Amino acid sequence: MLLSLSWRNVWRNPTRSMVVVVAVALGLWGGVTTMALINGWVKQRIADSIQNEISHIQIHNPEFLLNEEVDKTFNFDSVAQALSSADGIVGLSGRLKVFAMAQTDRANSGLVVLGVKPNSERSVSGIPNKLIMGSFLEGDFKTPSIVLGKKAAEELKLVNYELTDSIAQKLSAMELRLGEQIQPLVGRRIRTRSSFMNALRAELEPALFNHYSETLADSCASFRLNGPVVLTFQTPAGELHSAMFRVRGIYRTSNTAFDARMAYVNFENLALAANINPNYVHEVALLCKDNTSVVSIAQTLSTTYQNLKVRRWDEISPEIALYAAFGDFMGLIYIVIILFALAFGIINTMMMNVLERYREFGMLMAIGMNRLRVYSMIMMESVFLTLTGGVVGIVFSIVFIKIFAQTGFDFSMWAEGFEAIGYSSVVYPDITLANYVLVTILVTATGVLASLWPARRALKLNPMQALRVE
Amino acid sequence: MAIIEVVNVDKIYNDSEVKVTALSNINLTIEKGEFTAIVGPSGSGKTTLLNLLGGLDSPTNGKIRVGDVWLNELKGSKLIDFRLRNIGFVFQSYNLIPVLTAGENVELIMQLQGVSARVRKQVAADMLVKVGLADRFASRPAKLSGGQQQRVAVARALASKPQFILADEPTANLDGKSAENLLQIMEHLNRNEGVTFIFSTHDQRVMNRARRVILLEDGRIKSDTLQ
Repeated sequence: MLLSLSWRNVWRNPTRSMVVVVAVALGLWGGVTTMALINGWVKQRIADSIQNEISHIQIHNPEFLLNEEVDKTFNFDSVAQALSSADGIVGLSGRLKVFAMAQTDRANSGLVVLGVKPNSERSVSGIPNKLIMGSFLEGDFKTPSIVLGKKAAEELKLVNYELTDSIAQKLSAMELRLGEQIQPLVGRRIRTRSSFMNALRAELEPALFNHYSETLADSCASFRLNGPVVLTFQTPAGELHSAMFRVRGIYRTSNTAFDARMAYVNFENLALAANINPNYVHEVALLCKDNTSVVSIAQTLSTTYQNLKVRRWDEISPEIALYAAFGDFMGLIYIVIILFALAFGIINTMMMNVLERYREFGMLMAIGMNRLRVYSMIMMESVFLTLTGGVVGIVFSIVFIKIFAQTGFDFSMWAEGFEAIGYSSVVYPDITLANYVLVTILVTATGVLASLWPARRALKLNPMQALRVE
Repeated sequence: MAIIEVVNVDKIYNDSEVKVTALSNINLTIEKGEFTAIVGPSGSGKTTLLNLLGGLDSPTNGKIRVGDVWLNELKGSKLIDFRLRNIGFVFQSYNLIPVLTAGENVELIMQLQGVSARVRKQVAADMLVKVGLADRFASRPAKLSGGQQQRVAVARALASKPQFILADEPTANLDGKSAENLLQIMEHLNRNEGVTFIFSTHDQRVMNRARRVILLEDGRIKSDTLQ
């Protein structure tokens, strides 16, 4: 009956209780959604890193890791056969890795060049599926091929800006004046973004320029496939060697820094150009069946190949592992801050509740309700009040997160900023059952804590005096 | 043996700078089955005496025995538990819990005593029959008149099977008819079931029905009359 009494007491003043319930529900909805967004971001970042950048496990000559010197290779054949038949490994790629200065006719930039075998690379990396133009090192060309990230291609000025007829027609359909004003630019190929913008500024009236220039520049950009890129790198003999490659593909990931840095060429081309024995590699990348098997596989490999350095993804990129732990922690902090703020509202409501029932508490204590029971009743009321809001908030969050887990949360307007730090601008919120359990425990704890002060007031009352309160 | 024995009790309040002597040298005994009214003008010490008898307050000097227990020997939760099992209270302003039905209000005290749900329900129904509210088991206090609420309060006090019931001005908030009705019920319970009632009252109707009237003046017993 005490449970039932506490529940009914919550609804003595329905308006006041509903205010708290709605506040808790909204607060939790916000907190849980934020937690889910952080989780989603972190999960995507980890998945993208593993898929596109570092794979699950990498094996190196330990000396290569000290200075990444080009001569610190190891024999790929010595590990390939055993690894390809090992349990839990679903992909394997032997790579050469050199640091090169890339030059085009108009710019230069430092790149990390991976020499890969396309089919093997496909088994460990998602980059071949991230192409926005061209192909991934397929085809037989006289000049070796290179695949660049979008950002690297922009830095090397491998972009043309051309307003085609089809774009012009679309613009005319969208806004007639715009279509008319851009006519002089149709068919002109401009080589830099700033020149293209200047040309636009010259033709468009200011209002149209301010409104459409950025979008137009993005739509008119096209990469110069087959454009030449000269790579200069050090050979194992310590000499600088230059070789020309042609751009056959442009990829784009959600990590701009990665796109600016990593380039892919054919393994054989790089081995030949750098004068490296084609049986030797700098790096072997492995993709495992799932994340949970990574630790045990890495342990087994470390024992088997004691002369090589075997590193898991979280050792290769500890900052990403940190994001995972930090993401959970941040989500928790958000929820705690929200609940802490809500606790004051709950305390206020509970305090009013207790003060209004002073005489009733006096009566209950007079007829024989002991202090523990009085405290329990107030605590249950506070927990019920908080949990009601909590349950509403959590149910609302579940629905909300379920919807956006399918469609994704689109932050495209800040895409540049997100991608600059390696995060996708479309986030798929993700939350685990354990997170919900944790939130429910925190909500209950808030209810208990918020009851302490009001309960203390009730427990301190003298039943004889309380009975005289009007 | 008397169920209540008050020995040389003084009650002095030191709350303000001035000492207030609420009761002075009170000695009395109450036997089982009494129907006693403690009367006197405002400030004479009626409520103070009732609070002392109910274990809600403790005397400055002297001691009070209820049954075979001296109340001054009980502290904290033991005293609360003693009240729960031995003393019934009826208050001037009913003090029912508004979110509980009449039946649940009566049941509540038995739940505090640890009585099983089945027995509680049965006893609560019986008690409401005794106070003439058999058909109001499921009514909330807001749906009851003042007189009916006070009868529920009597049923609640009875349900704990106390050694005696203390009723502080039980008719003060009731109209004449309701007060008469309540007094009839209490007198009936007293005469037929031996329930001991001790009232503090100004109400002449209560005094008329009481078989013993203790008159307090300035904290002292001025007269103690059997009627």
